[in-house]
Amino acid sequence: MELTAKSRNSLVAMYLSVGGLIILAMMIFGILMLMAQGGMLDLSPAAFYQFLTIHGTGMVGAAAFAAAGVMWYFLSKEVKLSKKIFKLNAVLFLVGVVMVIIGVFSFEYASAWTFLYPLPAISANAWGITGALLYLFGMLILGIGFLLLYIDTGRAIIKKQGSLAKGLGWDVISGKKEEKDAPTPTIVASTMVTIVNITALTAGAIVLIMNIINVINPAFTFDPLLAKNLTFAFGHIFANSIIYMAVIAVYEILSKYTKRPWKANKPFLIAWNMSTVFTLLIYTHHMLMDSVMPTWMLIMGQVLSYANGLPVLIITAYGALMIVYKSGIKWDMASGLIYISMFGWVVGVVPAIIDATIVVNQVMHNTKWVPGHFHLYMALGACAMLFGFMYYLAKEDSAIRTNAFDKFGLFGYTIAILALGGSFLVSGALSTPRRWATHFPDWMAPANFGAVAGALAAIALTIYIIHFVRYMMMRNKQDKDVEKISA
Amino acid sequence: MIQTVAWITSLIFMSFVVIVFGIVALKSKEKRDYEPIKKKWYKARTFYGSVLVIFMLAVTIYTLRDLPYNQPVYGEGSEPTVVDVEAFQFGWNISETEFSAGEPIEFKVTAADVTHGFGIYDEDMNLIAQTQAMPEYTNTVYITFDEPGTYEILCMEYCGLAHHLMIEEIVVK
Ligand code: HEM
Ligand SMILES: [Cu+2]
Ligand SMILES: [Cu+2]
Repeated sequence: MELTAKSRNSLVAMYLSVGGLIILAMMIFGILMLMAQGGMLDLSPAAFYQFLTIHGTGMVGAAAFAAAGVMWYFLSKEVKLSKKIFKLNAVLFLVGVVMVIIGVFSFEYASAWTFLYPLPAISANAWGITGALLYLFGMLILGIGFLLLYIDTGRAIIKKQGSLAKGLGWDVISGKKEEKDAPTPTIVASTMVTIVNITALTAGAIVLIMNIINVINPAFTFDPLLAKNLTFAFGHIFANSIIYMAVIAVYEILSKYTKRPWKANKPFLIAWNMSTVFTLLIYTHHMLMDSVMPTWMLIMGQVLSYANGLPVLIITAYGALMIVYKSGIKWDMASGLIYISMFGWVVGVVPAIIDATIVVNQVMHNTKWVPGHFHLYMALGACAMLFGFMYYLAKEDSAIRTNAFDKFGLFGYTIAILALGGSFLVSGALSTPRRWATHFPDWMAPANFGAVAGALAAIALTIYIIHFVRYMMMRNKQDKDVEKISA
Repeated sequence: MIQTVAWITSLIFMSFVVIVFGIVALKSKEKRDYEPIKKKWYKARTFYGSVLVIFMLAVTIYTLRDLPYNQPVYGEGSEPTVVDVEAFQFGWNISETEFSAGEPIEFKVTAADVTHGFGIYDEDMNLIAQTQAMPEYTNTVYITFDEPGTYEILCMEYCGLAHHLMIEEIVVK
């Protein structure tokens, strides 16, 4: 199968539209949860925790799916990727999503997206075996799809570069190869994501299977601390990989818009190697409140979490600022959202690093401070990259124009997520625990404020999606000549 | 209070980020050659990077001096009160719930079924310490209540549909 620009664009547009629609739907559940916590809406605990489970699973899954689309779009221009596997991943994703939805809503499964062993099997009669198995197998199928995708990207990168180490530019760092022959930022980022996500998905598959066995036969038990390590290794890495996939759009789009090159030099390569190692290791910052863990691992959790901020703070964000500074860039929806996304990433890193400090974590862990920082860098960081890419693709691939609504969407979304993230952080500073179906009266105001902000974010995303759907309809109509491209 | 320090520190750095991104956006309309910009700002980056690394190192060393995992050094003759805590769906078994101010306490925390979280709240509902309550493992919280009052134990790890109802009181006289 030859990959034409046209078929690439339709496949990637499918990924982004599915991802965008799921994210929008999940926002509604997010708003409903906040309204329940704020006392505006009477929601049963069962419904609340189902919403929590579907929101977490759906957001991470959909954002990862859309981000994989972004990565595939740019990577497939440089290496030869399998279209079949890209399609297969989409099918497995949809099968997994349907199973998860049925498990959660028809069989009342509500373990949260972290399915912390042995909760799936021991629900105090809230849900049964069927719901748990639908959810866990759904996740497993979805994970296998992604695993195949990364095996394919790994294969293709090795074919082009010689090895994954060379994809990360080791030969350039060691001086064997000149900087001008370094792999492109797209290749470097894709190599990093391939490495960390194959690891994450393997850990995830193991812990899912452990849970599945335990659900089917509770006589088979596992070490809960080992399960917890695997769960967070999977969850942390996979959730974080989203932004490392999506950031490819930042490199490509900003350099194109500013007509300034964004090349991989030595500091860039070292930064991405650091990100690779740190992303794999710092999941222990989720376990700082497990004093039974070896203390050196927890200290590493803090130290490496700090260090993990350096590549983005010194290289990627700094690079984005430098490339935009006095560039005469033309601002539109794509460049605007992409710029905002770098801002969202950096703003989210601040409270994340603070929470990774052990003494702070002791009073912030599992408070709403945590969703506070990750909503900033997931919703304003990673998702804005995805939405910016959607505008970019639409502009590249059709004659569609943006209007005043889109502009409103850009500002509306930025303000909405800042307000939402801020409201979570305030809740966290007030010691409000996360994942609580109801709040004490003193804790309600920020939740209600967040619900309003969430509604604005949902309106903005609706505008983005309408634009993207209009583009997809337009390109269906204009039956352009199929231009062959060589890989 | 740690929460206030964390919140203010975050606000300061986040405002700084807003300002930097704002200035660069304002200056983006001007058009200049990239080479001189690169040269100048790469130099600035070396400085900024070094400052950041040194700052982070300092904060790391400062915040790692005293970790909640370590048993405090108790004064001569003051033995800590050891309290057994077991979390279950959905409640707490706590071997002792009345203490006196100034008494060093070690909460030995475990769980009967799934993972829970043992969070101690003061009278103003500020979280003052926590640890995970896990089946098969025992985590310890070392604490000395300085103020008399009614403290509350809240569940800090999602454990099922009545997670938010796992509340217990302890009293410090
Ligand atoms: C309108 C926008 C959004 C709203 C109103 C919203 C709201 C919420 C709420 C209320 C929670 C539960 C907080 C708690 O623990 O008490 C939550 C959790 C979460 N959200 Fe969002 N959210 C939004 C957007 C997003 C986006 C864009 C993402 C990621 C791409 C995301 C990912 C998550 C995740 C991973 C969780 C954790 C679920 C768990 O604790 O198991 N959210 N969100
Ligand atoms: Cu993490
Ligand atoms: Cu609980």
